[in-house]
Order: sequence, then structure tokens, then C-alpha cells
Amino acid sequence: MSLSGLSEPEAKEFHKIFMTSFIIFTVIAIVAHILVWQWRPWLPGPNGYTGMIDTLHGALGAVQHFVS
Amino acid sequence: MWRIWLLFDPRRALIGLFTFLFVLALVIHFILLSTNRFNWLDGPHTAAPAVTTAAPQ
Repeated sequence: MSLSGLSEPEAKEFHKIFMTSFIIFTVIAIVAHILVWQWRPWLPGPNGYTGMIDTLHGALGAVQHFVS
Repeated sequence: MWRIWLLFDPRRALIGLFTFLFVLALVIHFILLSTNRFNWLDGPHTAAPAVTTAAPQ
């Protein structure tokens, strides 16, 4: 018997359920983080949060200028 | 990787994991509620007008 009292088949069985639950939890967390980042990013640029808007506009403008 | 469950009792591991995640989530949510930018209930707080009380002469 192992330290935890589980046999090898039991450990494998539990591991399967654990990993499935863990992956589902992680996917939900990733989706939630993407949504929150779209709402309000939490890492300010070098010019603070308002500077990020300028940076974004600047980047978009540069891309549009480059494409057209 | 599954051999970890030969070392750690799944019941105790799950209780510990759930407790840790719950407390962590609670702490993060309250920290966010306490900030101006990430309070999703009240929105940003404008600075309260400075209350000046005239000192008694």
C-alpha cells in the first residue's frame, strides 16, 4: 500500500478526473482573464493607462497608413 | 504524474486546494473592489471635496 493508501489503478483513475477538472477550470479562468483585459487592461504602458489609448491609436494609425 | 496521488491523499489535497483557491479568489476580488480602476460595482470614485472646518478662534 502506498503512503496515501491508494492503489495504482485508483491513483490513475483519480488523476484522470483531476486533470479533466483542472483543464476545465484553467480554460474558464483564461476566458475570464481575456474578457477582463478587454474591459480594462491591468498593465499600464510607460505613460500610464491613458497613454495606452494614444499608443493604441498610434499603432492603429501606423497600420492603416502602412496598409493604404 | 499520476503517482503524486500515491504520495498525497486526494481528499486532503482537494480540501487544501479548494480552500487555497477560494481564499485567493476572495482576496483578489476584494483588492480589485478596493481600487478605483477595477471596481466593477461603483465605478471610479471621484475625490471627495476637501472638508475644511474653520478652526475656532
